Amino acid sequence: MNRSSSNNQHHWRKLKSALASGLAFTSALLVISPLALVFFYLLISGATSLNWAFFTHLPAPVGEKGGGMANAIVGTLELLGLASIVGIPVGILGGVYLAEYGSARINWGLRFVADVLNGVPSITWGVVVYGLVVLRFKSFSAYAGGLALGLMMIPLIMRTTEEVLLLVPNGYREASLALGISRWRTIVNIVMKTASKGIVTGILLALARIAGETAPLLFTAFGNHFWNRNLTEPIAALPLQIFSYAISPYDDWHRQAWAGALVLVVGIFIINLLVRVLTRERTARLI
Amino acid sequence: MPVKTMSSFEPNAQTGAATSPGVPAESPSSPAEPAFKVNNLSIWYGEKQAIKNVSIDIPAKAITAIIGPSGCGKSTFLRCLNRMHELVPRTRLEGDIHFYGEDLYGPTVDPAVVRRRVGMVFQKSNPFPTMSIEENVLVGLRLNGVRDRRFLNERLEQSLRRSALWEEVKHDLKKPGMSISGGQQQRLCIARALAVEPEVLLMDEPCSALDPIATAKIEELIRELRDKYTIVIVTHNMQQASRVSDKTAFFYVGELIEFGDTTQLFNRPSERQTEDYITGRFG
Amino acid sequence: MMRTRHILREFDRALDALRSDALMMASLTDRNLQNAMSCLLDRNPELCVVTVLDEKEVDALEKKVDRDGVDILLRYQPVASDLRQVVSTMKLGSNLERVADQAVNIAKRSRRLSMEPELHEAFALGPLFVDAISIFRDSIRAYADGDVALARTLRERDREIDQMNRQIADDLTAKMAEQADRIPDYLQLLFIARHLERVGDHAKNIAEDAVYAAEAEDIRHPDNALAYH
Repeated sequence: MNRSSSNNQHHWRKLKSALASGLAFTSALLVISPLALVFFYLLISGATSLNWAFFTHLPAPVGEKGGGMANAIVGTLELLGLASIVGIPVGILGGVYLAEYGSARINWGLRFVADVLNGVPSITWGVVVYGLVVLRFKSFSAYAGGLALGLMMIPLIMRTTEEVLLLVPNGYREASLALGISRWRTIVNIVMKTASKGIVTGILLALARIAGETAPLLFTAFGNHFWNRNLTEPIAALPLQIFSYAISPYDDWHRQAWAGALVLVVGIFIINLLVRVLTRERTARLI
Repeated sequence: MPVKTMSSFEPNAQTGAATSPGVPAESPSSPAEPAFKVNNLSIWYGEKQAIKNVSIDIPAKAITAIIGPSGCGKSTFLRCLNRMHELVPRTRLEGDIHFYGEDLYGPTVDPAVVRRRVGMVFQKSNPFPTMSIEENVLVGLRLNGVRDRRFLNERLEQSLRRSALWEEVKHDLKKPGMSISGGQQQRLCIARALAVEPEVLLMDEPCSALDPIATAKIEELIRELRDKYTIVIVTHNMQQASRVSDKTAFFYVGELIEFGDTTQLFNRPSERQTEDYITGRFG
Repeated sequence: MMRTRHILREFDRALDALRSDALMMASLTDRNLQNAMSCLLDRNPELCVVTVLDEKEVDALEKKVDRDGVDILLRYQPVASDLRQVVSTMKLGSNLERVADQAVNIAKRSRRLSMEPELHEAFALGPLFVDAISIFRDSIRAYADGDVALARTLRERDREIDQMNRQIADDLTAKMAEQADRIPDYLQLLFIARHLERVGDHAKNIAEDAVYAAEAEDIRHPDNALAYH
């Protein structure tokens, strides 16, 4: 092969490389732009209505100026708390079972079901809980909403927990068992401790995922324009409030809806940042 | 905590028993009695037979090296001495192993208790990443329920001294176990294994990931531990086997081909297969 | 000795080279002994020069065998039969060098004798010479072929050579009393007999090393009650 032909090849290779990286860069821009667009739009439309009252006041009756979404913000937090009570223990234990116990066949089935559940449209959860809980107790309630969200969390947490537990090198399990430490203590004190950041990350991601869910709450938590005094009664939630304000005919409410959406997105944004920080520390520690 | 007989594998032989303060881990044995008596041992992983009808007496308070090509079953054999091979699903075992006269695989035997008496050090040093040096050494005691702070401190120093690490880390006990060098990490793992006062130390290629100096330190340590512990070491490094051990066993495709005094085996093996392997004639 | 080859072919080549150097030494030494015999019995002083020159080559080969032997120990860390092979070859080298030395001594003394009137008694050394060369050759064969059975017979034959040497020494001493003016020449013959006896000793040593190489058995000094373990 003479020199000029190898030179030609070299140029051709460089061109191909430039083409590929250009294409990848454009795609990356396309991914980021909707996010930027959404955020920017929310900021413009919602920021004007954001004030102290928004976080501290109840919704104002139609026609009155002002008012806020304090009850919805607190309601969302309460619902997330209730969901966590259901979702976190079951999800983690399920993940532990998948990663540490269970036969290959059972695990295959469990993973399959979990993946299907992850893909089930969220309204389905609402309908199911409506049928099982709301109809039975003849009342929409915070419990029902929490349960619907919690059920959604289970497969999410289960799969992430399983994945991070499987990332823990087998050497640690063996080392622990070889010290005469029991299986269960090995899992709790060695394996889960090593993977703790990853598990927390999984939980946060699941919370971020369900925090904005509206559909499962429509038939369960239902929404409430006032403070919820009793968890057996309907409760407000940010996504619900946004939904009902957005479809109302009043400009004021529209503006409030924008502000609510902004708060929700910022909240999810913060959770994701937290996850970032946690995962960075985790990798730094393992290296 | 109640102290039961040392020689009991029964699950109710209280977790702390093997590690109570002031109770030396004495073996009910004369020096002549082998630590392990293995009889017609066969092990299967699923359909695959990993160990074929092996019988061997492993001497107490001596160093036994196990050599053989990869996949010859030497690791499996080592692991069945403290029932670690059971962690692999679908294993089956035939024959029997007696540890100072007790059936290691008896129906009432708790593997966790076996492993407290027969400790293990692995190929890759594996200090627990979330724990300090001190926590690593003491984890076996703590998770088995020992709380006495003074006893823990004593055992911490004793174990680190026995593993020849004390002088190097005594001011850094709170540092992460992963912060020290590879050779030190491996000695930390040895200290961690020694802390629960086992009678036997199984070593699965403990130096294969270490540089020559770190290797020499571990070998020196192994020689020193010989007085107090029965040591079984699997190694790929035949020079290491010939330097370190008193007895050597040669395994080939799951069979024990030859077992004898190390100098004898390396100078004049009685089996052709052994000779071909140690002189590098396998092909 | 036929053996399967090593996975590391460089190792085989090094062992083969060591062995062929040692066998080269052995054949030079063998020639040396024959030349020395010719020197004495045929009163051929020129062969003495050849003997001395050959011995220089044997010396050089001895150094090479030692250097290569150490090199093999260093590089390949041989064990079992390989280790024994290297160790016994290095010992063979030093035994051969001494045998060649004896040959040179014999040749030098023979040259001096050839300048004096012929002594009839010189021919009495013929059978001793033949036996010494024969035991030497057999020792080399035992080494080269790993012939343990042959090697084991050499102790007895060395003893016979010793016996023969003693007999010759007695005869020569008696002659010295009769012919005082030829005492220096008789002394030369006496020394030559002694050199041949030494050749027998070295042959016995070589045979012992051959047994060690083949079977890892130390057959030296079987009647020695002292033993270190």
